[in-house]
Amino acid sequence: MVLVLALGDLHVPHRAADLPPKFKSMLVPGKIQHIICTGNLCIKEIHDYLKTICPDLHIVRGEFDEDARYPENKTLTIGQFKLGLCHGHQVIPWGDLDSLAMLQRQLGVDILVTGHTHQFTAYKHEGGVVINPGSATGAYSSINQDVNPSFVLMDIDGFRAVVYVYELIDGEVKVDKIEFKKPPTTSSGP
Amino acid sequence: MELEFRRRDYGATHKSQFLPRSQTQKHPLSSTLASRDQQAKTVRGRDLHFFDPLRGLDVNASAEENVEDTCISIEAVTQDLIKEWKSLKRILMQRFPVSKVISFSPISNIITKGSKAVESPSALSHPEETGSEQTSLEEPAKIISQHEYIAKVHELRDGINSAWQAEDRVTSLKLSIKVTKLLMDTTVLRFYPTVFVIVTDMLDMLGDMVWERIKQKAELDIDGTVICALPNDFQSSDICLEARETCYNWFCKVGSVRELLPRIYLELAILPCWRFLINQPMEVLDRLVMMVRGLADPLTSLYCRLYMVHRMQKFGFCSSGYLIKCIKDIEDVLAPVLVDKEGYSYITDDKKLLFSLVEPAIEYIMKCLFLTGRQENNVLGILEELGFGRNKFQSSYNSSHVSILLHYLLKELPSELVSSLAMEILDMIRCSNDCSFSQVLNYRLLGNRLSEGKSQEGFLSSLIDEVIQAASQYQSLYDYLRIMDAYVDLMLQNKMENHLDALLDDIVSLARDKFLSEEEQASLQSIILKLLSHFENLQEVLPLNHFIEILDLMSGTSKSSVNMHLLNMGTRNGCICDSTTVQLLFEVSQALYDATDFVNIKDDDNRQTSHLISRFVEMVDYGAEMERHLLFLAECREAFNGIHELKETLVRSSNTLAVKALKAGKKHINFVKSCLAFSEVTIPSISSPTKHLNLYLETAEVALLGGLISHSDELVMSAVEYLENVVLTDGLKSIDIDSMASVICKLCSLLVMIPGNPEKGVMEILKSIFSATRSSSWATLRVKVKIFCAIMSLLSTLSQDNLPYHSANPEIIGNELLFFGDSSYKQELVSCTQLVLSELLDAIEQESSQISRGNMALEACNCISSALVMNEKVKELCLRLLETAKGCLGANDRYIESTKKSLQLRYTE
Amino acid sequence: MATATTVNVKLSRSNRIYRSSEPVEGKIVIKSATSISHQAIRLSVNGSVNLQVRGGSAGVIESFYGVIKPIQIVKKTIEVKSSGKIPPGTTEIPFSLNLREPGEGIVEKFYETFHGTNINIQYLLTADIPRGYLHKPLSATMEFIIESGRVDLPERPIPPEIVIFYITQDTQRHPLLPDIKTGGFRVTGKLATQCSLQDPLSGELTVEASSVPITSIDIHLLRVESIIVGERIVTETSLIQSTQIADGDVCRNMTLPIYVLLPRLLMCPSVFAGPFSVEFKVCITISFKSKLAKAQPKSDPTAPRLWMALERLPLELVRTKRDQFSC
Repeated sequence: MVLVLALGDLHVPHRAADLPPKFKSMLVPGKIQHIICTGNLCIKEIHDYLKTICPDLHIVRGEFDEDARYPENKTLTIGQFKLGLCHGHQVIPWGDLDSLAMLQRQLGVDILVTGHTHQFTAYKHEGGVVINPGSATGAYSSINQDVNPSFVLMDIDGFRAVVYVYELIDGEVKVDKIEFKKPPTTSSGP
Repeated sequence: MELEFRRRDYGATHKSQFLPRSQTQKHPLSSTLASRDQQAKTVRGRDLHFFDPLRGLDVNASAEENVEDTCISIEAVTQDLIKEWKSLKRILMQRFPVSKVISFSPISNIITKGSKAVESPSALSHPEETGSEQTSLEEPAKIISQHEYIAKVHELRDGINSAWQAEDRVTSLKLSIKVTKLLMDTTVLRFYPTVFVIVTDMLDMLGDMVWERIKQKAELDIDGTVICALPNDFQSSDICLEARETCYNWFCKVGSVRELLPRIYLELAILPCWRFLINQPMEVLDRLVMMVRGLADPLTSLYCRLYMVHRMQKFGFCSSGYLIKCIKDIEDVLAPVLVDKEGYSYITDDKKLLFSLVEPAIEYIMKCLFLTGRQENNVLGILEELGFGRNKFQSSYNSSHVSILLHYLLKELPSELVSSLAMEILDMIRCSNDCSFSQVLNYRLLGNRLSEGKSQEGFLSSLIDEVIQAASQYQSLYDYLRIMDAYVDLMLQNKMENHLDALLDDIVSLARDKFLSEEEQASLQSIILKLLSHFENLQEVLPLNHFIEILDLMSGTSKSSVNMHLLNMGTRNGCICDSTTVQLLFEVSQALYDATDFVNIKDDDNRQTSHLISRFVEMVDYGAEMERHLLFLAECREAFNGIHELKETLVRSSNTLAVKALKAGKKHINFVKSCLAFSEVTIPSISSPTKHLNLYLETAEVALLGGLISHSDELVMSAVEYLENVVLTDGLKSIDIDSMASVICKLCSLLVMIPGNPEKGVMEILKSIFSATRSSSWATLRVKVKIFCAIMSLLSTLSQDNLPYHSANPEIIGNELLFFGDSSYKQELVSCTQLVLSELLDAIEQESSQISRGNMALEACNCISSALVMNEKVKELCLRLLETAKGCLGANDRYIESTKKSLQLRYTE
Repeated sequence: MATATTVNVKLSRSNRIYRSSEPVEGKIVIKSATSISHQAIRLSVNGSVNLQVRGGSAGVIESFYGVIKPIQIVKKTIEVKSSGKIPPGTTEIPFSLNLREPGEGIVEKFYETFHGTNINIQYLLTADIPRGYLHKPLSATMEFIIESGRVDLPERPIPPEIVIFYITQDTQRHPLLPDIKTGGFRVTGKLATQCSLQDPLSGELTVEASSVPITSIDIHLLRVESIIVGERIVTETSLIQSTQIADGDVCRNMTLPIYVLLPRLLMCPSVFAGPFSVEFKVCITISFKSKLAKAQPKSDPTAPRLWMALERLPLELVRTKRDQFSC
């Protein structure tokens, strides 16, 4: 069992002062093995904060990130899953499943995690799974100024993954669960 | 065959493909939540009980620990001291660099004569041979480089060694005596520590050789067979007569050296050998301690004592008794140096040099004293010997110490004793005011040592009163500040507000209307920084007595440093809402800004300053007073014009302000416009192209959220115009191509929401992007392919009857409604696509790198199959691209596989 | 192999110290490639006091030069081996020689070995191997050391005979520089003036006052050899060893130790025999800072000078019982 925290689009301090305290109190050090971050943190302090939760931190670059050293894309393998990471402002149109699937093929990953829309989504398609953890601070997006803060925690166990969605709605943390298995690699489309 | 856009139903896709989610109570972070609550509770519980009797137990426990800590094993002590000795030698060699050429008196003529100075290895029994060289003092000093000197001594050391190996021990000893005599030469003071190190190294070597030889004699018979192995703790009665004879002979030979200094050093070198003759060489040590008194020169006598202490501790002969005698003797030796004939103590350059030379020796001896004292469990006894704890009126012992000794005593004193003896130490510091060490620094050291301690006693209040009084006696503000600086932490830790107030009062009244020197500034800075680091919030610091006034006393780099800390402190705890704080920090920032040359110098300091100022601007939050906030941003833009980083902050803050206003309701629309105008005006001064573009796009997004189409149009147009003009000139050397490509992709996605302008041509922006990319000097083929694909995806998206997303503002009408049923619109999309497609294929063809070309072909293939209906023409195109990819990447490439698979899906659609 | 034949006298004690009551034991070691025929191997002992008066400063003495007959202490020959042949290789012939016969009264005093300037007390052991006319006789000589061996020697530590001394400008019998004389000085101390040869000369010294800076304080061991030549007594004082105990202008009222290990062979128990005597003295010198001192070439450090204060103290050296592991 490996816990992977996925989050992004914090836009601190411009669009939000900090993570919601309710999220912060949940994210204690020692629980989480990996953090994947879809970018737009934007300042170094957030980077440092995430490091305290878990030192294994993977970040891709959002268009507003201070640190230009973050890559555009990143892949990593956890358990039986290959994970891809991209901020998503480069995807046309934003959040489109077909376009994300293209990126997923390009990166050759089972799970693609992207952000930018500030809206939690999780899709499956022929090639795998696409997850958007939303904005962890509820920062306004390109499309919408009213955003619920959210992040995702993936519990990866062999070929099985459970995705927990944490959303802050009207001051309460709501947790949803999504389960999926890695499709057998030999299967071909219909 | 015509190109046709693939139909998309975004809503249906969403419904069919989304992963079902179910609410859950149990999740990986839930347990954390509970345990964390518990943790928090227990922590709080501890806080509550902080002053209850349980705390007493804690104190006892730590006291026990301390006791254990103070009893340290001999091995640990020796290990520590060996390390200390090594580092001391390094310090002595490094701290006192000498000019390349040194002159030295004829005493050291062994250096020029070399090992030939000892010719005949005849019996060492005549006084002339061991006695002084018949040197005429009239001979002029010789000059030799330091390097040569050291090389010569090493050569002599090798000579001693090889003579020894050749069983010629007489020559070995004679050479050793000559080398040791180098320590009598103090012509070049600064060179003395170096000579000391190299000569004592030689002596240590000689001592080891003599020890080994006698030990061998005691263990072996004449034929070399082992009679007995000596145990480590052997008694002198275990030693055979022969070995004892040899040993005594060595002492006789060494004892026949006329000069006192080499005689002492040589006996110290073979000091451990006394164990072959007597079990407890106490008398020997007593005598040696006294013999050193015969050396009148302070420098040579101190270094001689240093070697004595080193040898004693190395062989476990050390006891605090000898060390205390040593230290008292040192005081007596230094006393005449301190005062001149008239009884005044003033420092001269010579004295300064002398004290700096003897400082490491004193420090080492003090260290040994307290280590030994802890080992003997007799630290208090030592202190009593040194005049502590005595009734001043009863004792005849003058309780004032030479200040350099007092300094190192205080430095080495166990911290729990510093606390318990603080008042007495303070008295001693007050009494010892001589030129060997600055009294101010001793006051400081007391403060610093006290700050180390954990619990503080009731004496602190009166102690600090006295310190303040003592500090006020000094004529200079600098001394006052330096002393009090060391006590600020104590006052803060012990919540001594009254004293702190008094200190701040004093500072203001002493420094007001004065020009503060650089040193004074530095001390004041140190005090202020201590205050700042003690408090969590700026709000706690500002109400301090005269705080602002004291800040105003500062100038120059100290002021900047304090300002940086203020700014850092002000911005680290989230939003800054308090208007006085904002005002203060604004002034602080302004002062920093004025003190820094942002235009010409780009270094780390400047970067940090600009970063802090930007952070401050970001953190300011006027809450509901949005107009005031915008005004503030405008003020900042004017005040900190030279900080590039800040421009971005200003735009982003103004955009956020606009969104905030939008959320607050429609009535603020004019304010939103003001914000947009502010951003629009500010953006052009941002130099980084990607930042520039990104901010245009963000501002346009905000305009869309506000339903301000004309604004967003204008902003997007500005962005495109800017894009057209981005060139790979010198100024833009560091253009980040990947980021640029990403921004352009983002722009494409943004255009999905922006209604086309029928007057200017529906595709105008799109076409501009296309042509700008095609003709750009900076875009590589890979980037071009990426952008062309993006444009194609955009065209396909725009052709749909339902767009994937719209602006949240209902006033913005999407293109699908705007151009509903307009066939020319669709036609234009198709013709555009054709244009882009051919450029896209061209770009792929041009790519020379196989791998890049393969990947570009696959990217294009994926994009085309996603954007267009898979008719024969498109199918053929895709297969051709796939072939290209295969040719470049090989058939087994994973990307080719997955692309093929998705193509098959498209055929069946 | 070397054809040379060597003869060595090897004593049983590596330090070669014997008492007159003890037999001198050892072996004669002969190394030879060939066999040697000899006419008995003899060992002789010869102990004597050699007196000579060498050129001193006094002109009178020169006329006595070399006229003094040595005083015989012991002269004795024993046969270790009667005539015969020594086989090739290494041959060791042990011997034991009594210096005095049990019944013999103490005719001559066995003075302790001493090598002085004018007086030399020496004991030699000589092995002789005469080999007829055709061959050169072989011989070897070895010195051994005699220490007093009387059973009634005093126990250590000997009762201290401490002399307390004061050295001031007024105790000086020679002229001093005016500023030393007027400024004044006072150096005090004590010294054990009866001293066992096995113990160091010990005492202490304190500079209580001195207006002129001191440059050095030295302890000189002197030996005084006196010989009766005819009607006169010729005395020569010579310096054995100087030991500096203060280098520079030492702190006032700080006690400095006097500690001098007595050099072996150069000293012996004080002797007052009929024709000669050997005595010892300690001379404490205090040198003051003076330009004259620098200009003066170094010669006898114990000679009175304008910039020096002196104190001479007698030193009686005695032989005490050796402790079991005496050094």
